[in-house]
Amino acid sequence: MSDAVNVVTLSLRAPLSEPLDVEGITADRVAGLSEREIAGLPVRLGAREARLGDFFDVRGGRSARMRVEGALAQVNGLGAGMAGGELVIDGDAGHRVAAGMTGGEIIVMGSAGAEVAARARRGLVVVAGDAGADAARAMIAGTLVVFGRTGARSGRGSRRGSIVALGGIDVPVAYWCACTFDPPHVRLMLTYLRRRYGLKVDERMVSGRYRRYCGDAGNPGRGEILEWVE
Amino acid sequence: MNIRGVHIEDTFAEGFGMAAARVVITATNLKWARIAALKLTGFATSVIACKCEAAIERELGPDETPDARPGVAALMFAIGTENLNRRLVERIGQAVLTCPTTSCFDGLPEAPDRVPAGRALRAFGDKFQISKVVGGQRYWRVPVMEGEFLLQESFGVQKRAVGGGNFLILGEDAPSALAAAEAAVAAMDGMPGIILPFPGGVVRSGSKVGSRGYKSMTASTNDAYCPTLRLTTDSALAEGVNSVLEIVIDGLDAHAISRAMRAGIDAACCPGVRAIAAGNYGGNLGTFHFHLRQIMEGVS
Repeated sequence: MSDAVNVVTLSLRAPLSEPLDVEGITADRVAGLSEREIAGLPVRLGAREARLGDFFDVRGGRSARMRVEGALAQVNGLGAGMAGGELVIDGDAGHRVAAGMTGGEIIVMGSAGAEVAARARRGLVVVAGDAGADAARAMIAGTLVVFGRTGARSGRGSRRGSIVALGGIDVPVAYWCACTFDPPHVRLMLTYLRRRYGLKVDERMVSGRYRRYCGDAGNPGRGEILEWVE
Repeated sequence: MNIRGVHIEDTFAEGFGMAAARVVITATNLKWARIAALKLTGFATSVIACKCEAAIERELGPDETPDARPGVAALMFAIGTENLNRRLVERIGQAVLTCPTTSCFDGLPEAPDRVPAGRALRAFGDKFQISKVVGGQRYWRVPVMEGEFLLQESFGVQKRAVGGGNFLILGEDAPSALAAAEAAVAAMDGMPGIILPFPGGVVRSGSKVGSRGYKSMTASTNDAYCPTLRLTTDSALAEGVNSVLEIVIDGLDAHAISRAMRAGIDAACCPGVRAIAAGNYGGNLGTFHFHLRQIMEGVS
């Protein structure tokens, strides 16, 4: 994200007192819009309709690389429905980050609320901190990487999605351990995240061993949790 | 032209257009990456009989590979893109998929032309394979008895690659020619964008097109450069030349070959070498002509 010229940056002006829903404001959507058009995109503050520009300063346009800054813990739906491009959330995020995502990469530099990557179909979602409850719920495919603790009931109802849990997870009862192994794609992904986004990745995670759990029992059992065990 | 007493003949090497791919193999250590790369590039000296030409380009450090493991870059050349794709599928499937701890990546990520070799190989996973997209590139996790084999879906193709760059070392005796060839190979070893596909980088059996005695032969011994035939054929060898070795160079582009030839010929100009020549077909078959004296300009 060093090339600031080609990044759409949304900066939250002030902390919010109630939840703001920004579902649908995604990197692929802003790729075709000017700065002014982006500021005019609809959002919801509680039950009230509003415009993105009412809360965020918008810099840049016509780029599929997006960055969101500020005290975002009350901002829900960041990257929800995203179909492509790159979104970096520079801090903690609210609920439903990347929900229903169908492509691209979303990096949360802090922690994420509940239902991160829920119902995601494709794409890569990374949470540098903790992920709330119901992460990757009903995930169809794609990958969620959580460096901190992964919340309760994560992966429930997942069909083919993958959770890479690096900071601990209570594996749902509907998952069973298949084996412990060195997944080469995790090594690739973590190396990529380190190089591309500057994420601090413990070398023991890169070269480590992972327990592979398969579930969810209500589905064909192709959902996956990879739990780092060093 | 004369370099340190070695005559540089006024001739040229004749190269041909080829399609090329760079295969990056990583493994738990360099030993296993090399083992896979050597198998991948085995029996790939000449398209005449091997369907492709391939060799190790260079070793890669962990900071140069996609998964931060030690690796090896190999270049593979074939006539035509589809032909190259088939060779990639065959060779990665038999030599890399099978080799413990390896992963296999595309080494030409910027190439706009691509072949789906990894997509074909994913089928080994018998529908248990899993696809992952990282950085816009699709990879396949293929379950194997060891664990998983990771393979990139598509490989970049350099359509303007060149095969058949070469030069001949005309030695006073076999040891001198071999020493000069070894010096040339050492000088070219690891140069970017080129490979020397023959054993140890050296060919002792240079060939001419067709055969004077056997209709079925597409290539036969280059009798003009065989010292034992100096008096019985239309020989190109002067008296005192008793052994000839050839260096063949394939490159991702003509410039890479020229650069390598310059370094290799310079190193080969050593005691016991009478002259440096090159193999060509009169300039009528190949698109690329590498004129020795132009390439060696300024070297003394």
